[in-house]
Amino acid sequence: MQAKHLIGRTLAALSLSIGLATLSAPARADVSVGYSDWPGWVAWQVAIDKGWLKEAGIKAKFEWFDYSASMEAFAAGKVDAVLMTNGDALVTGSAGGKSVIIMPTDYSNGNDMIIAKPGIKSLKELKGKKVAVESGLVEHLLLLNGLKKAGMKESDVILVNAKTNEMPQVLASGDISAVGAWQPIAGQAMKGVPGSRPVLTSADEPGLIYDVLAVNPASAKKNKAEWLKLMKVWDRVVAYITDPKTQPDAVKIMAARSGVSPQEYLPYLKGTKLLSLAEGKKVFAKAAGFKSIYGSTKVADDFNVANGVYGAAQSVDSYIDASFINAN
Amino acid sequence: MSTFPKLLRGMDASTRKRLAFGIGSFLLPLLIWSLVSYAPFIWHPKVMVTESGGVDYFQIGMLVDKEMFATEVENMRQAQQALPAGTPANPIYLPAPHEVAQALYRGLFEPLQQTDTLSMPASLWHSIQIIFWGFLISSLIGVPLGVLAGTYVPVGRLAEPFIEFFRYLPAPAFGALAVAILGIYDGPKIAIIVIGTLFQQVLIVANTTRKLEPTLIEAARTLGTRRLQLLSRVVVPGILPDLYRDQRILLGWAWTYLIVAELIGTSSGITWYITQQARYQHFDNVYAGIMVIGLIGFVSDLLLARLSKTLFPWDRSQERR
Amino acid sequence: MNANSAHLPSYLEQSEAVQARFASIRERDVVLEVRNLNKRFRSTHGEVDALRDINFSIHRREFICVIGSSGCGKSTLIRILAGLEQQSSGEALLDGKPITGPGQDRGMVFQGYSLFPWLTVKKNVMFGPLANGQSTSHAEREALLWLELVGLEKFADAYPHQLSGGMRQRVAIARALVNQPRILLMDEPFGALDAQTRAKMQSHLLDIWRNIDITVLFITHDLDEAIYLADRILVLKPHPGEVQEIIEVPVPRPRSAAQFTSPEFLATKARLEQLIHPAPVAESENEQAVKPHMIRFTNVADNVE
Ligand SMILES: Nc1ncnc2c1ncn2[C@@H]1O[C@H](COP(=O)(O)OP(=O)(O)OP(=O)(O)O)[C@@H](O)[C@H]1O
Ligand SMILES: [Mg+2]
Repeated sequence: MQAKHLIGRTLAALSLSIGLATLSAPARADVSVGYSDWPGWVAWQVAIDKGWLKEAGIKAKFEWFDYSASMEAFAAGKVDAVLMTNGDALVTGSAGGKSVIIMPTDYSNGNDMIIAKPGIKSLKELKGKKVAVESGLVEHLLLLNGLKKAGMKESDVILVNAKTNEMPQVLASGDISAVGAWQPIAGQAMKGVPGSRPVLTSADEPGLIYDVLAVNPASAKKNKAEWLKLMKVWDRVVAYITDPKTQPDAVKIMAARSGVSPQEYLPYLKGTKLLSLAEGKKVFAKAAGFKSIYGSTKVADDFNVANGVYGAAQSVDSYIDASFINAN
Repeated sequence: MSTFPKLLRGMDASTRKRLAFGIGSFLLPLLIWSLVSYAPFIWHPKVMVTESGGVDYFQIGMLVDKEMFATEVENMRQAQQALPAGTPANPIYLPAPHEVAQALYRGLFEPLQQTDTLSMPASLWHSIQIIFWGFLISSLIGVPLGVLAGTYVPVGRLAEPFIEFFRYLPAPAFGALAVAILGIYDGPKIAIIVIGTLFQQVLIVANTTRKLEPTLIEAARTLGTRRLQLLSRVVVPGILPDLYRDQRILLGWAWTYLIVAELIGTSSGITWYITQQARYQHFDNVYAGIMVIGLIGFVSDLLLARLSKTLFPWDRSQERR
Repeated sequence: MNANSAHLPSYLEQSEAVQARFASIRERDVVLEVRNLNKRFRSTHGEVDALRDINFSIHRREFICVIGSSGCGKSTLIRILAGLEQQSSGEALLDGKPITGPGQDRGMVFQGYSLFPWLTVKKNVMFGPLANGQSTSHAEREALLWLELVGLEKFADAYPHQLSGGMRQRVAIARALVNQPRILLMDEPFGALDAQTRAKMQSHLLDIWRNIDITVLFITHDLDEAIYLADRILVLKPHPGEVQEIIEVPVPRPRSAAQFTSPEFLATKARLEQLIHPAPVAESENEQAVKPHMIRFTNVADNVE
């Protein structure tokens, strides 16, 4: 009897302590941002760890997600803003998670790539061969643009749909001549098949994919002051990361967030072109082509419609609000 | 050291034998793993480059297929260039035991510089909380429902077909919905554990309840027990040891849903740690994380099994273990 | 088998003492009366007439045994009386009131002990009083009293699995009697016991019966057991279950093991054997369906007989 009571009491105490630990929910901030494992987004970790957000008087809460989970949370209205690609902003918006893009963080400058197996040295040599990409995602778009530039058509290669996460194994299997993947998966794929090399990277097509801060339209209106303050901090972050003197410290912070060593992280950062606000302003100038976010997003929209990601073309202009970046 | 043989002598023969088998059941796989890892003539389908020689793309530390390595050596010989060198190696997906042990030590005892990222123990603690709440909520609904469905035929007929159908639906598919309703923190994760566990739980508990010897209920009825009392005075105490065993199995089940639960909403917990480490190909850390989960599961089940002896002194089925 | 049956008296012959005893029994109140009872089971295999037109009555403090071959409806009958099964037609009356469901006025002892394994011996016996709303202290006092009667007061705090089969059945009897039922229904209670324990339990049961105000309906398929225990034996015949004969046992009381070879005992047994295993036709349909086909698995030279 005694023993039973003791066990009961221990269990009760245990459950209570576990319960209390869970129930301490985080305090509500003015604005919340979902971010995930991409160098241009992990960059914000520098501001978070250095306390620059507080210094700037912003009550912002950054929530760490898996990339697709972050977009889901945004679409569900659980975060006010999310860091994603401009193309994904359209996809999320088509499903009801409408956003306005207020600033770019970076564009992929080599981190996205098409990797061909040993012996294949250029895109042209892929003619008639099998290429695996995840249908509808950025590598697919990258490939199509690359083919166009090389004077080829989509039908010149045999497209195979595969999960980006599985590309290292797909390439290693040998049946497929090339795969599309981003870092760090691309790096794994190359490590797994020695002699394989990128035949096309996002560095060949700067601006094909912009990474952006996309904000819930209601919050953009209501918390405009907060968002503007946040953008100021971004300039500080970019400066800190690009300055060779402070870069090692920045990389250390970013690598820790991703759970890898700084040496390992550096190449991923190098494949990303961080955009300062001044550079961002130029990107937000309306123009066709990849130099402008308008042009890039239009290409993404066409691509999405062509690939059945969503049905009808969207109004690209309604997704982009240049007033924020121009106010800085 | 000297107390150990003494301890052994203190046990009776059958306990000693059981302990030996128990240890053996762990040592055997470990032995196989060690053999595969350390005996270079077993498996080792790759070559780790130690000297790149004249091969332009070889880098030190790179893993290359055996055949390809041989081809390149041949190529270099014919081209009269420096030969590459390497040692047999296993694929990166299979780290050696000592690497995993080191990763485990690092993960558990070396503090991280960054405050924001969770360490392995903190991740683990977070995961345990998710499991605790998920399993508790599931049990609060599933056990009573299962007992009712097993006791009263109409309840069973009404509830079970749908549950039978629902349990085949993949719990992770409800992730987005769970986030929309419950937010981005622990709510949706707990919900996934609940969805993954609850439906099995109802069916298993209902089945256990049905297995209660019907003469016990009849005996109670002839002794004057009214219908409603039957549940609390006969059915529940009668199935308790089996119910407890079911719960132990279901708790293990709940852990398997953790890996999807922790990718929903904000990233956290031990399985997220594993996923993230796998993404960067740190398989020593991955295995360390897996080991920790296995260890937690194993130890907690052992404790629960012990506890059951105290809780259910009348339960004879445990004597056979 | 019945070589000496010619020298036996008729089982219908009763000594004067026995006659007087039956006369006095008949004068007592009727506790249980069964009228035109029928039970028909509907299952996927079709319909089974388990009981057809059963009629009998039992007087207060009478000891009745029911015998019959396997599947003749003994359990069905006792379960209807216990209220665990519903008859198809006819009625069963306890003290003149129809039986509609289980109740504490009838105690039941099952073949498979059916003790609650999670309760100690004492708590098992307390189960009935507590279910009927008595206080714990009262229930405990009653339980200890009845445990003493069955000689198990020392095992009050043991769990059923720690007891032998005979002891468990004693607990089951105490558990049924603590409710002070009008009639004790026993369905092959000693069927699973070894011969020695069984004999002990039989005489123990007679002791209990002699000392308390209880009527017993006892099912068995053991003829010796039936004759040893019963005032009257109700013989059921299978397919459908019908009352074949109700025999007044001519063996005088008090009973003892020495009587097993008395002429009355043997005469009664001969009669029962005649009823239950009459000539070759007696095999039930069920048993006929099961025809073992012997195959020799051993070496031809390896003989055991
Ligand atoms: N629930 C039921 N559904 C259908 N048939 C039943 C059911 N219960 C009993 N029976 C049938 O009724 C007949 C009588 O069964 P019962 O159990 O009363 O026999 P019994 O005399 O107690 O046999 P035994 O000596 O083997 O215990 C059998 O033919 C049996 O198959
Ligand atoms: Mg029977």
